[in-house]
Amino acid sequence: MSTPLSMRQSLSLRVGSAGFLIFWCLLAAFPIVWIAVMSFKSPVDAFASNPLDVVIGPATRADGNGLSIIDIVLGLAALWASARFALRTLPRMVSRLTQPGTIVIGWIIAVSGFAVSFVIGFFVILPVILTGLNAIAGPLSTPLIGLTTVHYQSVWVDNEFYRNFLNSLLVTTGVVTVSLTVGTLAGYGLARSGSNLAFWLLILALIFRALPHSVLVAGYLPVFINSAEILRPIFGDAAPTLYGQPYAVIAVLVAINQPFTIWMLRSFFHSIPTELDEAARVDGCSHFQAFRRVIMPVMWPGVITTGLFSFLLGYNDFLVTSLLLDAQNQTMVPAIAGYFNRETTTTDQVEAIAAAVSITAPLFLLVMVFQRQIVSGLTAGAVKG
Amino acid sequence: MAEIQLRNLSKRWGSFIGVNNFDLTIADQEFLVLLGPSGCGKTTTMRMIAGLEDATEGEIWIGDRQVNDLDPKDRDVAMVFQSYGLYPHLNVYENIRFPLKVRKADPATHDERVMKAAEMVELTEFLHRKPAELSGGQRQRVALARAIVRKPSVFLMDEPLSNLDAKLRVSTRAQIKNLSHELKVTTVYVTHDQIEAMTLADRVVVMKAGVVQQVGTPTDIYDNPANTFVASFIGSPAMNLMDGDLRDGTFTGKNVEITGLNGADGPVTLGFRAEDASVAEAGTSGAVNAPLYTIELLGDATMLTVRAGGQMVSVKAHKEYRAGIGDPVSLAIPAAICHLFDRTTGARIAA
Repeated sequence: MSTPLSMRQSLSLRVGSAGFLIFWCLLAAFPIVWIAVMSFKSPVDAFASNPLDVVIGPATRADGNGLSIIDIVLGLAALWASARFALRTLPRMVSRLTQPGTIVIGWIIAVSGFAVSFVIGFFVILPVILTGLNAIAGPLSTPLIGLTTVHYQSVWVDNEFYRNFLNSLLVTTGVVTVSLTVGTLAGYGLARSGSNLAFWLLILALIFRALPHSVLVAGYLPVFINSAEILRPIFGDAAPTLYGQPYAVIAVLVAINQPFTIWMLRSFFHSIPTELDEAARVDGCSHFQAFRRVIMPVMWPGVITTGLFSFLLGYNDFLVTSLLLDAQNQTMVPAIAGYFNRETTTTDQVEAIAAAVSITAPLFLLVMVFQRQIVSGLTAGAVKG
Repeated sequence: MAEIQLRNLSKRWGSFIGVNNFDLTIADQEFLVLLGPSGCGKTTTMRMIAGLEDATEGEIWIGDRQVNDLDPKDRDVAMVFQSYGLYPHLNVYENIRFPLKVRKADPATHDERVMKAAEMVELTEFLHRKPAELSGGQRQRVALARAIVRKPSVFLMDEPLSNLDAKLRVSTRAQIKNLSHELKVTTVYVTHDQIEAMTLADRVVVMKAGVVQQVGTPTDIYDNPANTFVASFIGSPAMNLMDGDLRDGTFTGKNVEITGLNGADGPVTLGFRAEDASVAEAGTSGAVNAPLYTIELLGDATMLTVRAGGQMVSVKAHKEYRAGIGDPVSLAIPAAICHLFDRTTGARIAA
């Protein structure tokens, strides 16, 4: 596509803006790339004063953990092939093999199948092949770059980080489910109601949204600690102490998050013309059927975008989770903070970095899976028929 | 098969009156058009029939059921919306099929009925497209098909043509007329376009500010407008209205004098249609004598406009008539084509 002459920019402007963009991308990407690199190195390399040593990792290589050219080439090829398969072939297979209506189940099966075979292929089969190849390849098999996964192993296996992962999963699933359920229903109701009460409810929600999170935590904390006594009249001796439980965190995070989801979903519902509900109701739907069969399918991008924001809030929260959860129920973010204490060694620090990299990976995955819905959700208005 | 009865129907929002005391019986299979300027309450009336708006007062009967308290889905109506109201996530086929699916019609008949409806509105080629991939006219035809796929007791159409361009409007209008002839279902059609009303309606209801002005056949409201509002709303150009005084059967106003009228003496408004009057023959003096204000060539006729009786008055002349602006013209206005209206109330004065 050629740009019209009148829209063409001068060379200096183009160089300037491109340069600024590159600079900005580097600036934004640097911390993530750098901790990713550090997490694969032995502590000596990770905290080396020469940046080149951090990247190449001579000390790690000297320990016997290194990648040869064959390793790098084959590893990258395997990654590229599986990414291509996931983005191109997999969707086609799913749409070909599933019956209409079972598409969600089809995707779940496809994604879990892909994940399992990727883990087996990349971490079991590939290393075996590479060991064999390196043994016969001669000079090509000399290690070039130091790389060790020992920190990941100690984080996930020795320190049982998977427990924190499961707790995070529980908390975020709870937060997203509750906020989206309440948010869609409330958002739809408020968007379609013209009454004054709806307006004041929204203003009230805004005020709650403006409260500092610590206010809510401080308010809930004593209640949760004493919940066994408070609930005794209802549940008898089985009354639970909510403090330290993931459910308590879910409740607080939902309280923090709900006003935002209601506002966001309301504006999405607002952009859907009322004629759509009315057409559905004349065509034979009850009010709720119209919501479920006509409005919700149109709303998916909005629900997914809002769900992503709710997920991020639950996933990244530190304040609420660190204050309200006891040690065995800790989620990932406060667990990382546990690596830093007075006796911190450099090994601990690199392990913390490996844990931090582990936390970011699901976020990338999530954004990649839903990117199309997120984009159309962020550019609302595309829903008009 | 359903007759619609609206009994003293009113709609108020606080002190604002949307529809006031609407009382009408719409016969079975009748094509009724609600006509009026925007904000006159015609759409509100239709929405009350559909059940999308609650009536403040009065009763709505469809067939032998009073439907005031029924949900839209239980009223057995089908509606076509101004901006189509298609379901963007479904393709054309599923859009048309939606009412059958929701109402749990026998699934075995779905395909046949959808195809029949699609054929009637000539949509069979587009069944697999999404609404976003259709033009405005095609979208409106999908909406029509969705309405006719199920045989409802009543069709409601809310300005279905007003989002279409002029050419498409004419062809879709013809299609609607043909459909209603074929389907024989009671239809209520809302429009602000008087040509649509004239061409489609069995009967027209002219409304203004929530009040019914006149109910009648298109010929009726064109030939015998009940008041100056109807007279000035119907017809293109609208009826000429001149202010003046009636004395002993002679109407006099600025630049105008018409004799041979019947009516009580006093201030009146006199109306006549542009195509009924003509330019006075050479040598004779007509009822209106004034300098020409403007001359417009329409192709099939020439429209002359002069100032008379405090208003602009237009008359259709032969298509080859030519004159310069400012030239004196004389117009013949026989008493037989004149309508008299009360100057203050605007109501028609019976001849």
